[in-house]
Amino acid sequence: MAQLEVRDLHVVFGGLRAVDGMTFDVEKGEILCLLGPNGAGKSTTLDLICGKTQPTGGSIRFQETEISQMMEFQRARLGVGRKFQVPSVYKELSVAENLSVARSMKPGIWHALTAPAVRRSKRMREILDLVGLADKTEEPAGNLSHGETQWLEIAMLIAQDSRLILMDEPTAGMTIQETARTADIFRSLSENHTLIVVEHDMSFVRTVADRIIVMNQGTLLAEGSIEEIEENEAVKTAYLGH
Amino acid sequence: MTNKLSYDIIGLALFAAVILFGVPAFFGYDGFELNTFSRYLSLAIVSMALALSWGTAGLLNLGQAATFGMGSYAMAMHLKLKASGEGLPDFMGWNNVETLPALWVPFHSLTFTLLAGLLIPAAVGGLIAIFMFRARIAGVFVAVITLAFLVAFQLLVIEQQGFTGGQNGLTGLAQLELFGWTVDIYATSFYYLVGICLMVALTVGLYLTHSKFGLILRAIREDADRTRYFGYNVANYQTVIFCISAGLAGWAGMLYALVLEFASPTYMSVSFSLAIVIWCAVGGRESVLAAAAGAILVNLAENRLSDVFVEGWHMMLGVLFLLVVMFMPRGIYGVIVDAGRALRRKGGGDAEEPAYDASLKSKQEG
Ligand SMILES: Nc1ncnc2c1ncn2[C@@H]1O[C@H](COP(=O)(O)OP(=O)(O)OP(=O)(O)O)[C@@H](O)[C@H]1O
Ligand SMILES: [Mg+2]
Repeated sequence: MAQLEVRDLHVVFGGLRAVDGMTFDVEKGEILCLLGPNGAGKSTTLDLICGKTQPTGGSIRFQETEISQMMEFQRARLGVGRKFQVPSVYKELSVAENLSVARSMKPGIWHALTAPAVRRSKRMREILDLVGLADKTEEPAGNLSHGETQWLEIAMLIAQDSRLILMDEPTAGMTIQETARTADIFRSLSENHTLIVVEHDMSFVRTVADRIIVMNQGTLLAEGSIEEIEENEAVKTAYLGH
Repeated sequence: MTNKLSYDIIGLALFAAVILFGVPAFFGYDGFELNTFSRYLSLAIVSMALALSWGTAGLLNLGQAATFGMGSYAMAMHLKLKASGEGLPDFMGWNNVETLPALWVPFHSLTFTLLAGLLIPAAVGGLIAIFMFRARIAGVFVAVITLAFLVAFQLLVIEQQGFTGGQNGLTGLAQLELFGWTVDIYATSFYYLVGICLMVALTVGLYLTHSKFGLILRAIREDADRTRYFGYNVANYQTVIFCISAGLAGWAGMLYALVLEFASPTYMSVSFSLAIVIWCAVGGRESVLAAAAGAILVNLAENRLSDVFVEGWHMMLGVLFLLVVMFMPRGIYGVIVDAGRALRRKGGGDAEEPAYDASLKSKQEG
């Protein structure tokens, strides 16, 4: 049984079928890349999985639990993490504080009342080194550059340690070197995590994707390996060909 | 972070030194002078309580005066019963109430009273909070709903004359007896009692703001939705800080009723609630210490200036608020923090400086 099973998922925004009958599975430890032209419904699909948007129909099963009617925080506790297309970090909090918020294995109030705001652990150090923010721990996140903000949010998702991580355009605004480094990180993440990655950068997709789904106008246009997708005529017309 | 914690501990120590040693020495240990000051200290507690919900969690509670009032009535009911001996409180007779209402009976007990003054406001605050935050009400609507509650609650207290003394409130109170010690509000010991209460409240407040709980509240203030995707039940966090804040306000109200020797519906007025907001904003809502200091400073100024400008004082207070909002939105606290940062930068040799230079250089080269 797949880790995530999406069946006939629908959402309508005032007449616009943003997601229109999506059905797909994601296996444990897989990196699934979600492609498609602007407005295809990629972000909305992630919104439906993490609970930002309520579906008008269909089902989402995560580890054999139906999650489509759950609150966002309940889905997060089950193991669904989300990185947003517009980097969403806490600008008024320091880098270390951002990571501490993200480290939420114990999200309850009793634990929060008895723990310090920031606990400097070895794990936190490792994550900061990994994304190259180790010398900026006390910096307010609002002072970071765009690229650093992307890194911080990726670091936050690593700290959150969700089993399923939804990444919306993680390499936007990164240099070629930074993108390559992100690809390495994602490959090593996939040892213990499942990833769904929305991405426009085809060379990045080629490096990380185990499987690809192409969306167009809310529907699933094609599904398969990178070679299969590049050969697909419908995809060429809708997306790669223009 | 650890830096901030050590600054706050130093701040608390300085504050305690000034309040517990400086002020009594300045007034020559004169109980009458210190009585006025203990009034400010009790108001400092309600101001720091607002800083917890407003400053830390971004929830502007305009009903703070209602929970403050509940505390003051709890204390006054106990003292009124004590003053009435075996009989009924005098105002009940005037309102044709023949037997002591059930609501009043447990207030014979001091323990019950002290708990009620803390827990009833907390429970009421929590109840309002549950309804608001489950429904994800936020921002200005929190202010509107809590304000509406305040107005309704004050009306209720005024209308139920037989239970509450109506417009007159509860007057003619006995002296409090605390574990065999008769509290004389014009003695220096009373000042110390209020001072220590304030220090305890501030310690609780600082503990909360430096815990992970405080951090999550600041995260919620900035982006409640983002925080949900990390698995935090935002409504629960907001409800708990609302409870704690309301409980502290009730505690302040108990002390306030002691200092003034009566409880009155004016404690639950809109203007009183707005005054709390002003103290908190002037001091700086991000810091419980600053909010407490703000309450003391504004009330000191009011005491000095309202004799001179009897009618004009309220307008001056309004103007002060506008000036603070426009020119120092983070209050005195913000000014101090910015000045500290500027000084450190001038001091030079910081880790910040070389990094800045390096980034400048790389820009010039590029
Ligand atoms: N909350 C909303 N209300 C109304 N319409 C929406 C909402 N969210 C998305 N849409 C619409 O749904 C469609 C799909 O949007 P979505 O953001 O999922 O596209 P996308 O594939 O992520 O595109 P991009 O590559 O530009 O990020 C778009 O036409 C968008 O305008
Ligand atoms: Mg998108």
